[in-house]
Amino acid sequence: MKIRIAAHAAKGACFLIGLVVLLLAASWLFMPKNNHKAFGFTDEEMLAGGILGERENSINVLVVGDSEAYSSISPMQMWEEHGFSAYLCSTSAQPLYDSYRYLRQAFTHQSPRVVILETNAIFRTYKLRDYVLSRAKVLFSVLRYHDRWKSLSANDFGGTAHYTWTDDLKGFRFHSKSVPADARQYMKPTDAVQEIPLLNRACLAEMIALCEENGAQLVLVSTPSTLNWNYARHNSIAALAKEHGLPYLDLNTMQEEIPIDWKNDTRDRGDHLNYSGAVKVTRYLGRYLKEQYGLPDNRDAADYAAWNESLQHYRNTVTRG
Amino acid sequence: MASYCSLLYAGVFLPIVLLAYGVMPQRHRSKVLLAASYVFFWSVSGKLIVFLLASTLSLHHCGLWLGTVQDEQTAALAAAPREERRAVRARYRRQLRRVLAFALLLHIGTLLTLKYAAFFSTNLDRALDALRLPVSVPVPAFVLPIGISFYTLQAAGYLIDVYRGSMRADRNLGRLALFLGFFPQIMEGPICRYDQTAHALWEGRPLCWQNITFGMQRILFGFFKKIVIADRLNILIQNVFAEHIQYDGGVIALAMVCYTCQLYMEFSGTMDVVIGSAEMFGVRLPENFRQPFFAQSIQEFWMRWHITLGAWLRDYVFYPLSLSGPLKKLTGAARRHLGGHFGPLLAGAAALLTVWLCNGLWHGAGWQYIFFGLYHFALILLAGLTAPLTQRVTAALPGGRDAAPYRVLRILRTGLLVCVGELFFRANGLRAGLSMFRRMVTDFTLQSVSDGSVLSLGMDRYDFFIVLVAVLVVLAVSVLRERGVPLRAGLARQHIVLRWAVYYAAILAVVIFGAYGVGYVPVDPIYAAF
Amino acid sequence: MDILRSLRPDVDFTSCRDLIDGRYLDSLIILALVAELEEAFDITIPTACIVPANFNSAEAMWEMVTRLQEEG
Repeated sequence: MKIRIAAHAAKGACFLIGLVVLLLAASWLFMPKNNHKAFGFTDEEMLAGGILGERENSINVLVVGDSEAYSSISPMQMWEEHGFSAYLCSTSAQPLYDSYRYLRQAFTHQSPRVVILETNAIFRTYKLRDYVLSRAKVLFSVLRYHDRWKSLSANDFGGTAHYTWTDDLKGFRFHSKSVPADARQYMKPTDAVQEIPLLNRACLAEMIALCEENGAQLVLVSTPSTLNWNYARHNSIAALAKEHGLPYLDLNTMQEEIPIDWKNDTRDRGDHLNYSGAVKVTRYLGRYLKEQYGLPDNRDAADYAAWNESLQHYRNTVTRG
Repeated sequence: MASYCSLLYAGVFLPIVLLAYGVMPQRHRSKVLLAASYVFFWSVSGKLIVFLLASTLSLHHCGLWLGTVQDEQTAALAAAPREERRAVRARYRRQLRRVLAFALLLHIGTLLTLKYAAFFSTNLDRALDALRLPVSVPVPAFVLPIGISFYTLQAAGYLIDVYRGSMRADRNLGRLALFLGFFPQIMEGPICRYDQTAHALWEGRPLCWQNITFGMQRILFGFFKKIVIADRLNILIQNVFAEHIQYDGGVIALAMVCYTCQLYMEFSGTMDVVIGSAEMFGVRLPENFRQPFFAQSIQEFWMRWHITLGAWLRDYVFYPLSLSGPLKKLTGAARRHLGGHFGPLLAGAAALLTVWLCNGLWHGAGWQYIFFGLYHFALILLAGLTAPLTQRVTAALPGGRDAAPYRVLRILRTGLLVCVGELFFRANGLRAGLSMFRRMVTDFTLQSVSDGSVLSLGMDRYDFFIVLVAVLVVLAVSVLRERGVPLRAGLARQHIVLRWAVYYAAILAVVIFGAYGVGYVPVDPIYAAF
Repeated sequence: MDILRSLRPDVDFTSCRDLIDGRYLDSLIILALVAELEEAFDITIPTACIVPANFNSAEAMWEMVTRLQEEG
């Protein structure tokens, strides 16, 4: 009896190993061979994945988070004002497990000194199913890119991935529109504390460990938003930062340093900042990072010439409006 | 876990339960199943699990109550002299009937209130409005616990069986609870009878390799049907049914066929997962499908499609009604006047009408479902009325009634009739259904195919191609099953290399050609909503 | 037996043992059959007896009829 069970278990294990090998092979086959959407990335993945096309170990500051991040922080402005390089791996409604994934992906060929996590994503809940699926997708990317069977080419067989594309705005998304917000209830002090979802607590612990391993300082930043931020969230994150000894900047409480004008600086009634709001946030944040972490000035370095070109494109985008 | 066809169910939940079941000693295994069932129900319906618990408790109690009255009856009959027995039996019959009525009211009443109160009060309100009465009826809104339409029927069947004395009430609350709430079947059936599953479930049979592999094969096939076919068709179906005004008859006909295909693949695929899951624990659930699209008549179709619902309605609605006093007399009288064919047909028609109204309404509170039921009733009745004529005509055909071309023709005709029924079933209300049907008949063109706009409905040429291939695979399997070829046993006899190649191919087909992820909207479990 | 033959002349009732499971008798024929049996043998067939096991062969039906007659 015992022997039969062992034999069956061995057979089952062999079957599973075979399956894993096949899935890995399929993952390798279906992996987009470049980081442009023409090769199978989605639009969002492409913007956040532009970092793959950056020169190795060239990024000083990495930002992960949801739309709050890409609406409030402009790497190109930091470059123009201080000369350090930053990239935003932020996607709309980014679940924290995706923040972790982008972080891991970036660390494979970048060694940023600072990693900023925009805190809104910490309160985003999702279904256990999505979490499990995302974990499975990390192991077997064929689960993410399986639909590429429609467009497989000879290049996919035998070729390795070669990433060449990057975003001139470095993950920032430019919006000039302005729709005023009602900020009367905004940031009323309270002792309430909003609970952090359990899965996200686990995810945060992993991110902290990952940053430590790679010698990067994790900084928690709450960007201004009347709809998404309040004191209960502030209290929760402040406690979290204290618990783990992380620096925490709640830009919502810094009206003096960052004078957000809620009539003109938001594009959708306080949900997200627009360009003029982002300029104010970035001005403060850039100076803070420069002073705190002594980031280098690369503006005259030859191997950053492409960044100065990107700055021209960024300026054009802004003046075009 | 909103669906059985998910990674979370088949890849995480089921293996954990299997493992826990396997390591437990036999007498605790049933408890593992019961605990897993409640975890499953809770993860889908949350607090609404109190409905299931309340149903289980009241079912247990009412069953025992019926049992006690029956025991008293047996004792009284034994004590009574022979000539009084009839009277004693009648007295107890009345008492039993009252208990049963109370118990059924409790269970079916809950279902009716939760599921139909809104529909009936809305229509009452409209009727009052039409009569210009200044009264308005409040429209209640309830959240339905998952699977209530299925487990309520199981509960009612159990009560009636105990009442009839065809089996004894169960004293074991746990066994009854597991019979009612067993996790694979709680959401979409099959509707089991107590004597089919309760004891097998409670026994805690040891796991066996063959059951596990056979179960996994079945689950894999179910995933294939659901994720490769049903989900891939979903966007097209949603688009056309939502904006049906924009499309010509040809597109509507395409959507109709796609929907019928989706419904079958979704429901029978889920059943494969359900029955396969139970099989892993050594429990045989009743089959719900038997290659329905090979049916040669609507009546036969319903003996092959959602079999357990049809059987339930036959045993607990059709026979009791048609054998009740007045209808039985009618049958007798009609037989003498109309003969052996039309007599029972006429009397049976009344009971049949009830069955089909129940069938329609069971699917949901809406006029389109009532229409769906009546549509099938009318088709079956029509077939019955014209049966002598068709028999005479077809007997005269060259090759006789069972000649192959004629059989194929009947299969196609039945399929078409079924498709039309499903068009009304899926349409957003009866009015939309009628308008779609009218356009399909009067405005049928193939223009969307010739100008290529058919590819802009939500499926590109690759999608159509893969659906076609997958349907052909399912069709091939169906043909073999219809011929009685034991597919799984045959596969088990093959060399291990070939066997594993088949498994790997099937898994990779689901992984690669499945319609999931960015750009796809999976279809919600259709029958779980009923 | 005569009753059966009058209802479905094309089926061999003496040997067939799966009249229901083999789908030779449908529900409407069962109705007629029940009515005939009740009349011919002066019995009442309760709904609980309408199960495939009792109608699958002529012998099974005969057993059911005798049992019901004894119960009176």
